[in-house]
Amino acid sequence: MISQFFILSSKGDPLIYKDFRGDSGGRDVAELFYRKLTGLPGDESPVVMHHHGRHFIHIRHSGLYLVVTTSENVSPFSLLELLSRLATLLGDYCGSLGEGTISRNVALVYELLDEVLDYGYVQTTSTEMLRNFIQTEAVVSKPFSLFDLSSVGLFGAETQQSKVAPSSAASRPVLSSRSDQSQKNEVFLDVVERLSVLIASNGSLLKVDVQGEIRLKSFLPSGSEMRIGLTEEFCVGKSELRGYGPGIRVDEVSFHSSVNLDEFESHRILRLQPPQGEVRLTVMRYQLSDDLPSPLPFRLFPSVQWDRGSGRLQVYLKLRCDLLSKSQALNVRLHLPLPRGVVSLSQELSSPEQKAELAEGALRWDLPRVQGGSQLSGLFQMDVPGPPGPPSHGLSTSASPLGLGPASLSFELPRHTCSGLQVRFLRLAFRPCGNANPHKWVRHLSHSDAYVIRI
Amino acid sequence: MTDSKYFTTTKKGEIFELKAELNSDKKEKKKEAVKKVIASMTVGKDVSALFPDVVNCMQTDNLELKKLVYLYLMNYAKSQPDMAIMAVNTFVKDCEDPNPLIRALAVRTMGCIRVDKITEYLCEPLRKCLKDEDPYVRKTAAVCVAKLHDINAQLVEDQGFLDTLKDLISDSNPMVVANAVAALSEIAESHPSSNLLDLNPQSINKLLTALNECTEWGQIFILDCLANYMPKDDREAQSICERVTPRLSHANSAVVLSAVKVLMKFMEMLSKDLDYYGTLLKKLAPPLVTLLSAEPELQYVALRNINLIVQKRPEILKHEMKVFFVKYNDPIYVKLEKLDIMIRLASQANIAQVLAELKEYATEVDVDFVRKAVRAIGRCAIKVEQSAERCVSTLLDLIQTKVNYVVQEAIVVIKDIFRKYPNKYESVIATLCENLDSLDEPEARAAMIWIVGEYAERIDNADELLESFLEGFHDESTQVQLQLLTAIVKLFLKKPTETQELVQQVLSLATQDSDNPDLRDRGYIYWRLLSTDPVAAKEVVLAEKPLISEETDLIEPTLLDELICYIGTLASVYHKPPSAFVEGGRGVVHKSLPPRTASSESAESPETAPTGAPPGEQPDVIPAQGDLLGDLLNLDLGPPVSGPPLATSSVQMGAVDLLGGGLDSLIGGTNFVAPPTAAVPANLGAPIGSGLSDLFDLTSGVGTLSGSYVAPKAVWLPAMKAKGLEISGTFTRQVGSISMDLQLTNKALQVMTDFAIQFNRNRVQNMGRLARFGLAPAAPLQVHAPLSPNQTVEISLPLSTVGSVMKMEPLNNLQVAVKNNIDVFYFSTLYPLHILFVEDGKMDRQMFLATWKDIPNENEAQFQIRDCPLNAEAASSKLQSSNIFTVAKRNVEGQDMLYQSLKLTNGIWVLAELRIQPGNPSCTLSLKCRAPEVSQHVYQAYETILKN
Repeated sequence: MISQFFILSSKGDPLIYKDFRGDSGGRDVAELFYRKLTGLPGDESPVVMHHHGRHFIHIRHSGLYLVVTTSENVSPFSLLELLSRLATLLGDYCGSLGEGTISRNVALVYELLDEVLDYGYVQTTSTEMLRNFIQTEAVVSKPFSLFDLSSVGLFGAETQQSKVAPSSAASRPVLSSRSDQSQKNEVFLDVVERLSVLIASNGSLLKVDVQGEIRLKSFLPSGSEMRIGLTEEFCVGKSELRGYGPGIRVDEVSFHSSVNLDEFESHRILRLQPPQGEVRLTVMRYQLSDDLPSPLPFRLFPSVQWDRGSGRLQVYLKLRCDLLSKSQALNVRLHLPLPRGVVSLSQELSSPEQKAELAEGALRWDLPRVQGGSQLSGLFQMDVPGPPGPPSHGLSTSASPLGLGPASLSFELPRHTCSGLQVRFLRLAFRPCGNANPHKWVRHLSHSDAYVIRI
Repeated sequence: MTDSKYFTTTKKGEIFELKAELNSDKKEKKKEAVKKVIASMTVGKDVSALFPDVVNCMQTDNLELKKLVYLYLMNYAKSQPDMAIMAVNTFVKDCEDPNPLIRALAVRTMGCIRVDKITEYLCEPLRKCLKDEDPYVRKTAAVCVAKLHDINAQLVEDQGFLDTLKDLISDSNPMVVANAVAALSEIAESHPSSNLLDLNPQSINKLLTALNECTEWGQIFILDCLANYMPKDDREAQSICERVTPRLSHANSAVVLSAVKVLMKFMEMLSKDLDYYGTLLKKLAPPLVTLLSAEPELQYVALRNINLIVQKRPEILKHEMKVFFVKYNDPIYVKLEKLDIMIRLASQANIAQVLAELKEYATEVDVDFVRKAVRAIGRCAIKVEQSAERCVSTLLDLIQTKVNYVVQEAIVVIKDIFRKYPNKYESVIATLCENLDSLDEPEARAAMIWIVGEYAERIDNADELLESFLEGFHDESTQVQLQLLTAIVKLFLKKPTETQELVQQVLSLATQDSDNPDLRDRGYIYWRLLSTDPVAAKEVVLAEKPLISEETDLIEPTLLDELICYIGTLASVYHKPPSAFVEGGRGVVHKSLPPRTASSESAESPETAPTGAPPGEQPDVIPAQGDLLGDLLNLDLGPPVSGPPLATSSVQMGAVDLLGGGLDSLIGGTNFVAPPTAAVPANLGAPIGSGLSDLFDLTSGVGTLSGSYVAPKAVWLPAMKAKGLEISGTFTRQVGSISMDLQLTNKALQVMTDFAIQFNRNRVQNMGRLARFGLAPAAPLQVHAPLSPNQTVEISLPLSTVGSVMKMEPLNNLQVAVKNNIDVFYFSTLYPLHILFVEDGKMDRQMFLATWKDIPNENEAQFQIRDCPLNAEAASSKLQSSNIFTVAKRNVEGQDMLYQSLKLTNGIWVLAELRIQPGNPSCTLSLKCRAPEVSQHVYQAYETILKN
């Protein structure tokens, strides 16, 4: 079971320290952990570390180290899950997770820890259930405005966009909602898919894999049953197909334990009863590999000219977007690692809003907006100072030099799901009195996880 | 007092301020003050001085404030036990509070105050809380029992809390059940013998019911507890599996893995023919694959577990190769684990895909990863035979990149491939040699040297290559030094003429100039081997190497089975049993998989093939046990004399009679020279040697082979011819060593001293090829005490076959000179050829056939052995004890045909066909040999052996 829990700042200072079992070590353990972590050789895994009968398991979240120690043979999965839940919980209760918010809310954090863990046994990590026990109010540093619409991004969704425009809803502590009951009723439902793709240098598709999640965030003052209707053609497993037309098939689904699946088999409807007040939960998770119903969003056609003798490297990249012409991809960035010691870059790009630069030994090509069906290209010339090898191998002009590639793309596809899964409707069983219509926001989004094209 | 106050004003000031605030009347102010105290506590400031003031705030109806105070108490009670007692009353009172939150809080906090005195006060409230009407209080109390047990186990037993806890397993609230299970499991672990968690079908049923209602964390406790249960039969196992399976789709990976653990364990009991077994296998794959889309930390832990599962039941994930493809942005520790699993899953079906991936990885930038990828290609080649060729060509492509570390790794793995598939891919050696100069890592250098030594006969300039390494011998790492030594010895045995100097150089570098005992020992062993018996040296050094095993670094099966029981725990991450890293004996009960039930006994065992011999990292010769013993006994244990090793003299092929002068002196008889000790290391260790040989005789069980036929001693030198010295003797061969047993008798009237002995050189010559038996004394004649009149001594003189040679007529003639203080005497004797038959003279059947056909018929000689009434059996065993081995036996027209082989010390093979007719006392012997002049003597040996 868990012996200790602590949070360290990125510099290794302890922010929170909690001992559950009264076993030795004290605060030095935190220091020991940090020393061990920073002194770890590169190829060794930092996830589970061992020191004199004490095991450290940690995650890094928002620049903080969340660490648990144990001296027994416990499940590292439960510890890692717990840590990521704690990160979410602390974020929920303190507004956001960060060095500042944690040190302002020490008492609250301890109170939470006491409820979550008793004698190192995990009791519960659900925000809703904990709300019954937690007394301390969060200290929030700056006021927020929910209606600062310019910044309403996708709460929770870790997209590039959310880095740029943090959602204000996400940085609001859950408990504070008690104080302002007059807040507007809002329900957010997101279908977020992460796409990871691997394309071989000959253009053949080696691997496609979609990880999807349906996330719910509700601010309804009174709990009422909610029904989420999914695309009816949705089916699970390899064999099953239903309805007409191309089925929306996924390989594996898991649901949150509070989801009622009575109508799922027949009508693809998820029912759930979110508790009163603010709730965030992942309603459903699914994954799909290999067969995508729609074509891949991007194809890259690279050609590389490499003259080892003169050290001249020419890369011509053609990027085609295979989305429907009414859709578009945002914040597209192509990252191409280059051989060591590349000195200069000259470029010819097909349109003015693009940008390309050398960064950390790689080529970065930014395309803020790519319309479906369009094709963009860039020609890049670089000088690679002579490799230390003998110059006699000047013949190999076609073979690409070591360290070039693979190219990886990152992008966002708003209003698009790669699996084709859509939310048909979101219904609330009864209207909460007082406030008329709660606002319902349903969004679909795909973004890249690892979209790699080998060169 | 006043002074100290003076010095610590600032600190005191802060504490003082807090003290004032704590005693304030305003609740808000108090609360803020306690919060500040707790904040200081977290940063490590000592606020224990405020203990009484904080405790004063305890009696409040404000829950928030109360919680804060309790938090403070937990932290400081241990350092202030007396003060803590002050709080007890409030605790006890709070345990009766109408608010269940406060009751639970009080019980929880009291359990955390690890002060002995408090425990007494804790018992009563705890008893009440265990039976509380509110489940929140009950679940907190359940945990509190575990806390109390940790502080005072006896008290818990005496108070009967354990029974109450057991009752809670049947509680209506799943949270309470989960906590009770967790607490009992932990207590049970510290008393392995106690039957606390009495798992039976009924209680299992209750647990399974609670499983569906619990929170995710509770499910983990329950599943872990279930995994310790041993179902009665396969039906019960199946029904549990059916109820656990839905957990596989849980969102919490810890729940999934605990479920996987239960399933993997109980599956062991299910018959493989069962439909359900197949269904279960299919169900296990998707959740495992799902885990790989989690955060890298979870992925890593999942991969470590999958690594175990794949070794135990490869069929689960055999179609999921793609999910283990490495992503460009995976952290390195995830990449390495994936690589490992890819190799484990590699099979003929997917090898093309895997190789293409590995080749990609080998061109990435991360050096560590690239190295592992190159290694992985080699492992593929060894694992999937059909792919070996592609792997080799992939490796060659990589070598062409000339990237230093890629080339080095490739060479290391190609060495393994050579060992796995000998004589198949040696054509690539030339390419490897081109890259010799770029190797700077010991492992790669050692691998390359091994390759050069092993295939010296195919590399024209092997000697130059090795010589170039020899230059910086002392700067090399031990690994390279050892390898270089072995390689040069191999080279010498293969191309003796050109490499004498080289071998002398390396032997002296290894034995005289090195401080490393391993290197020195190996050097000495080679030196002695070469000096005593180059033929044996060849047998030892160039022996056929055992193949390396299919798959490397598999976990040993028993450990694997144990680790399967620990899936989803730290043990599965470390791949070590918990006893290796959990201190204090907690939770180190050895777990094992349930045995398969009888019904499934016939089912084929799914276990991966047991690992064969561990793959030799050091590609060393591993001679068969028997040979090794024999050859070791040949060794002289004395330190070698410095100077050129004598081995060289025997291998000098030329007809130059280097020691010709010795013969002159023998014949001349006037100026007798000492035995040619230049060649033989001083036999200081003879007694040790014989002692050892005795030991080996006793222990090794080679006893059956221990001796060839020994003729009775015959008088070689009558007393009248030698001024009173009578010498009789015979030759013996025992476990590979030849000796001349002499009996010296003084029949003169004066004392004899200063004995010495020398042989004239002897040899057999064949057209062009020299066949010789350079018998020579391996030690000087040891007659310690002077031999007084009428005294007799028995001496065993060890002989070696590496002496210098000279043609004799007949070829088994041995001319001996013996010297004592009186004079020098000469005599000659014929030694029976069978003392030269070596122990490993048994030829392989195929080889025998081929050789028999190969030797021209004119080399065949036929002899009749008369008066030998033995049957085939007896003859065969008799001959075998003198190292004539029966290769095959046939019965043709009532005659027994024995096909036999023998080998002489100089490597000449003699093949024989012995025809025995039952009832007829004479038998026919046909001999075939490339050196036909030995045939006559072999026949004589046959006759001697068979007739005695």
